[in-house]
Amino acid sequence: MATNGEEQQTQAGRHQEVGHKSLLQSDALYQYILETSVYPREPEAMKELREVTAKHPWNIMTTSADEGQFLNLLLKLINAKNTMEIGVYTGYSLLATALALPDDGKILAMDVNRENFELGLPSIQKAGVAHKIDFREGPAMPVLDQLLEEGKHGTFDFIFVDADKDNYLNYHKRLIELVKVGGVIGYDNTLWNGSVVAPPDAPLRKYVRYYRDFVMELNKALAIDPRIEICQLPVGDGITICRRIS
Amino acid sequence: MATNGEEQQQQQTTQAGRHSEVGHKSLLQSDALYQYILETSVYPREPESMKELREVTAKHPWNLMTTSADEGQFLNLLLKLINAKNTMEIGVYTGYSLLATALALPEDGKILAMDINRENFELGLPSIQKAGVAHKIDFREGPALPVLDQLLEDGKHGTFDFVFVDADKDNYLNYHKRLIDLVKIGGVIGYDNTLWNGSVVAPPDAPLRKYVRYYRDFVMELNKALAVDPRIEICQLPVGDGITICRRIS
Repeated sequence: MATNGEEQQTQAGRHQEVGHKSLLQSDALYQYILETSVYPREPEAMKELREVTAKHPWNIMTTSADEGQFLNLLLKLINAKNTMEIGVYTGYSLLATALALPDDGKILAMDVNRENFELGLPSIQKAGVAHKIDFREGPAMPVLDQLLEEGKHGTFDFIFVDADKDNYLNYHKRLIELVKVGGVIGYDNTLWNGSVVAPPDAPLRKYVRYYRDFVMELNKALAIDPRIEICQLPVGDGITICRRIS
Repeated sequence: MATNGEEQQQQQTTQAGRHSEVGHKSLLQSDALYQYILETSVYPREPESMKELREVTAKHPWNLMTTSADEGQFLNLLLKLINAKNTMEIGVYTGYSLLATALALPEDGKILAMDINRENFELGLPSIQKAGVAHKIDFREGPALPVLDQLLEDGKHGTFDFVFVDADKDNYLNYHKRLIDLVKIGGVIGYDNTLWNGSVVAPPDAPLRKYVRYYRDFVMELNKALAVDPRIEICQLPVGDGITICRRIS
């Protein structure tokens, strides 16, 4: 386990190292999981995309490798075929998803920034799964509203939301209708670097403090939403898995 | 986040062998974070029967063996997501994960549950009966290996949707040899305690309880073996004391 000095450093705002943001008791434990169970199994294409992303200045936004592995396995377990992703960045979770779907699987992927996606696209193409992806540049809300107008209720098996935390509840209002009954919505970053339990005087980065309230509000709302069953997993920065039941 | 002094003290306490408090064994950065998950997302959703079983178990001297509430919730959801119907559990104790499983299966779902100790199971059985799901459970007292060997002799290969192993760590690989044939292709085996209180990364001089140190080697060996087993895809989740979910692919 890490020395006290290391622990203090990690607590002071972890959203700064790719592959080292974890909610676990020590970075050593997190590395153990990565090195024992994740990296040996990571597809080459995903490793490549991860390394490309590591060089990018906003790399704190990326999905971590343990999360990618979890999503990939979950999608196979639920036999997902038609999925959606809100928030793509360079595409690590998108690639994890595309690799899990059958050959005629489809992913509607939205992000306000196409440039970042284009950094990861070569790896996705090399993996032979780019054809499953329908990428839309721009905000997601209008797309969701349009889908509902077109009557696409209950047509998605799985939806992954890894985007602007102050809009999660607005997304949820729409996604709860778009995902099928028995389908899954995954909300990312719901433990927000552990800051959900930070005392009022804790030193937090501005954006961490700003979005924290939204994250905590989301968690409360999901906990009492009778249309879903939930499970809040300490994978990555915290993913809440929601299964629609009505 | 807690002050540095508190964190240091907490870290020291947590490092000295956490298998000591029911509901507080977690692999997370702080007990506060773990409590947050429990209080925000787990307890409000916990079925009454599971809460009752948990409280009965808390009074038992060996309660550190119990499945935690976050783990129970995860198993319950996983089983629903994979539409499990025919399952197995090795290691029952008072039956918390067994109840979580029984509640997730359809009315005609079945669980073959094995434990060397029926007395502990009988502590939880009233809660299971009250929940109306006891009929799904076939409890066998005794070691599991002979039962598994018999199942294979009876030709029950590939007949289980889900198997949960929460038992003697020095036998996990022996169970695995058999379970890999008993679970169906596309089915799931879950191995519990694979992060073993975080001791998998403890330095050689760390103060560990005797049984923690003893079983640690077996746990680490299991983790390595699962990682290279080509017949499964895995995911090692830091839920509870660490569950490794294995999906059989061949």
